[in-house]
Amino acid sequence: MKKVMKFVLKLLGKLAVVGLVTFLVTFTIYMTNAENKIIYYVVRPLLNKHYDSQVRDRRI
Amino acid sequence: MKDLKHLIYFENLLQEAHNELVTKAVAEGKHALGYNCYYIPETLLNLPGCFSSRLRAPRCVSTDIASYYMTTRNCPYVRSILERAIEGGYNYLEALFGAEGCAAMERMEEHFVLIHPVKNEKFFSTIIDPPMKGDENNLNYYKAQLKLKVVDKLRDELGVDVSDEAMLKAIEDHNEISSLITQMGDMRKLDNPPITGYEFHVIQLVSQVCPHYLIKPYLEETLEELKTREPEPKFPFRARVALVGSEIDDPDFTKLIESCGAMVVADRYCFGSFPSREQIEILPGEGPFDAICRHYLHWNQCARFMDGDKIDQRHSEVLRLVKDFKADGVIYENMKFCEFWSYEKVLANHIFTNELHIPCCTIEKEYALGAAGQLRTRFQAFIESLEIKSIQGGK
Amino acid sequence: MKLTDKLIKAVDKKLERFDPLWQSEHGVGGLRSRYYDKTGVAKYREWRGVKDTFYDYSQWLKNLMSMGMMVGSAPMACLKGFWEYRWMGSYLGTFMFIDRLFEGYRGYELRIAHMNMHAIVQSLTKKIALVLANDRRFGGGPLTDRMVPMDEVLPPLFMAGFKDLIPIPLQTLPEFIICDIDQHIEPYYIDVAESYGLPADVCSRCAAETGVTIDDAFPIFGKGFLSTNMPCNASEATSMFQRRRVNLPYQPVTMAMIHNEPGAHPYSTQELKNAIAFIEKEYGVKYDWNALFERAKHMNEQNTIELEKWDYFKTPYSALVGIAETLYRLYSWASVNGQEDYFTKTDRKVIALMRKAYEEKYRPFAGKTRHRAFLWGPSAVYYTDFPTWIQNCWGINIVLNMDSTMGHNMISTTDPEQAIKDLALFSEKGVMRHHAVGGWDNVNAVWEWAKNFNCDMVLCNDNVACKGMNGVHALLEEQARDLGFHFIFIEHDLEDSRTVSRQDMRKCVNNYMSVVLNEQPLDPTIVEFDDSAAY
Repeated sequence: MKKVMKFVLKLLGKLAVVGLVTFLVTFTIYMTNAENKIIYYVVRPLLNKHYDSQVRDRRI
Repeated sequence: MKDLKHLIYFENLLQEAHNELVTKAVAEGKHALGYNCYYIPETLLNLPGCFSSRLRAPRCVSTDIASYYMTTRNCPYVRSILERAIEGGYNYLEALFGAEGCAAMERMEEHFVLIHPVKNEKFFSTIIDPPMKGDENNLNYYKAQLKLKVVDKLRDELGVDVSDEAMLKAIEDHNEISSLITQMGDMRKLDNPPITGYEFHVIQLVSQVCPHYLIKPYLEETLEELKTREPEPKFPFRARVALVGSEIDDPDFTKLIESCGAMVVADRYCFGSFPSREQIEILPGEGPFDAICRHYLHWNQCARFMDGDKIDQRHSEVLRLVKDFKADGVIYENMKFCEFWSYEKVLANHIFTNELHIPCCTIEKEYALGAAGQLRTRFQAFIESLEIKSIQGGK
Repeated sequence: MKLTDKLIKAVDKKLERFDPLWQSEHGVGGLRSRYYDKTGVAKYREWRGVKDTFYDYSQWLKNLMSMGMMVGSAPMACLKGFWEYRWMGSYLGTFMFIDRLFEGYRGYELRIAHMNMHAIVQSLTKKIALVLANDRRFGGGPLTDRMVPMDEVLPPLFMAGFKDLIPIPLQTLPEFIICDIDQHIEPYYIDVAESYGLPADVCSRCAAETGVTIDDAFPIFGKGFLSTNMPCNASEATSMFQRRRVNLPYQPVTMAMIHNEPGAHPYSTQELKNAIAFIEKEYGVKYDWNALFERAKHMNEQNTIELEKWDYFKTPYSALVGIAETLYRLYSWASVNGQEDYFTKTDRKVIALMRKAYEEKYRPFAGKTRHRAFLWGPSAVYYTDFPTWIQNCWGINIVLNMDSTMGHNMISTTDPEQAIKDLALFSEKGVMRHHAVGGWDNVNAVWEWAKNFNCDMVLCNDNVACKGMNGVHALLEEQARDLGFHFIFIEHDLEDSRTVSRQDMRKCVNNYMSVVLNEQPLDPTIVEFDDSAAY
């Protein structure tokens, strides 16, 4: 019983740590607006370069 | 060629909507009925005791007041018509039968009710919701709209006889005037026609803006004159073109093209004879009103039709005209700010140039012929290309 | 007061100087202070106080998960979609878009706004995954032949009778919604269309649609295509191009344009019947009225709730405001149209919160609203957050938008003949059709709407290329004068932000508010700013 309790507590502890780390990471990304900065300054310019180089089947 | 006897008279009739013959018919107690669009069958407005008057705003140089109402970002044709109405140019009208052919047209026609520009006690106006396909459901809707908003209104408001007999008479009148115009128009099929595109444009227009019973004698005389008219010894133009598009009610536009060297041999635009001067046939078991509705829906070439058959008909009809009238190319026109023809000309240009391999030129114009210099340059270049193609044997 | 509440209050007090609303009140900044110039990229997210910031964060996570599920459900298709379609790249701007929309939102209005927004996000992400996973361009999928490409302004509820088919509004993903998110995407497609000779004075939305068509940027699926004449001329004309490019059996569903007349409805009813017959023929399926009734029940419930919402809109205590109302109603009505349970559930939750807020006499935006406005005319798609800006800058609360008044008649759930008639009426009153086209009476109704919703102001979207609304310009101004409404025309070019920029739109309001009404802005940092490079 003690073993089970220990395991459960350990698991909960691990989950709490994972949860806390996940929260810290995601909340930091959220508050610093990091994902939008990366999208705006890095991802979209690269994608636009690709789109601009596409040869499209343009016709009526 | 020798001048046509009545050409100057016809040209003068086109200087005002309220022209000499309109004044005469009104004085004789005829009901003057205005309309703007092919969706309103001219035939129904020529029931006994009535005459049709397709609205133009000749010599309109400023649309200041109409632009206040509709902004400068709207179709110059509808603004010019509204301006002319506000100026009092249509006070002879007892009714305007409108069609929601496009949003701009509908808004303009609404102003005829909302701001009362027509100073005529009897004046009233209706607007039909015209069909956008050629199928049975749309034909039935068209009939219902025309009955409710044209035929019943004529009967109830003006006491016009709308019986089958009266309709048959109107069809007879339509077929007579159409026959005259078609005979003259068909002369353009000849290699060296005895009529120019400009002259035909003037003749076609007077047939739309004057009371039929008053203009008919002049048209008959002109037809006889044309039958014996000696053409120029040699075809005086460098090319032949079909003119396609929306409202072209200014013969000077045709004159502009012809002055650049191409004869306008076919007129497939809203004020042209294709469509408008086809014979109305009554099919077995069909009443005259039904025949009129079917006829007008079938021949209508408006760019607002959405079903595949009607879209394809628009292009096959132009192709037919190109072949029948031996046109070397097609000029597609659209009035500035016209949504429908803006799109249609892009599609048609592609179809004619790339799929049918018929040279095509697209232009955009104002209602009043303002930017003639630019247009002249475009036409000259196009005609030159047609000429080169012809010299090179069509290559 | 509970300990946690005390703690939160203390933290809020400590961090209040980071709250842009506090900053503008104290003259030390405002909503624009946290942005890099022009880009619309914020240096950091808005601090709204502990509770609201964490709520906003939780919703950000929720939306992120929806997007993760979209990619997870069809990873290869999504990757191919990003690679193939320029418009797919623009969806990466979604988070910035949501942040823009709900700037300055707090408390109940923030909660309701996010509920509505998440409904859209979860629906849209599923739709994107579905379309890409079945796009013939990428090899197709199991549902390719069961999907029906439809014009996006044809209300799809009647299609619910085909329970094995999935109606997909063709233009929504590449053209309409994406222009809400990224103001720079449609000019590309407009340029494509204009390079083929299309004049620049046609409606830019339709020009963009045509550009997408010519550029071969529609996903490919289905066995038959339903187009429509709704809402207006240019939209009708675009169908000519789509018919060729989609290259499937084609049926235009042409509803009556002048629809406020008894004669119109039998015609429109028959049009719907013909559309059903067309789908039966092309897809080899039978129409199931019971399946329609099931979805009609949802639409009816949503419309019933909508009508209750209207009662709250008439008061100063409506917690559903501005763009949260406008965008949701537009999407849930025009795109979903009763077909997704999630929207009925969202409506139930939202109305419960609205009732609560009303009972508490809760005033949104901290009671800073100065004017109540009815928004009329087609809105600029590239400036979706305009209602947010006008509230934050001038305290003008857009109580209701023209598009929100679309078809709210109930659909019969027992009688097929009555149901199809109801659907015809319902569809005739679709996007723009109920208001901007079909006759002056529809436009002129704005004053009655504004009066009923206790508005002192009417904002009229002035799409420079809309021939129908341009045609009643002076009449509207004269009516406003006669009836005593504050009235502002807001010029825009629907989907082309190059012609009339967002700042040009703001200027229309700024001029009126400062010159005519002599009022001071609530937040001076957002009166004039350059967001030309923002999504």
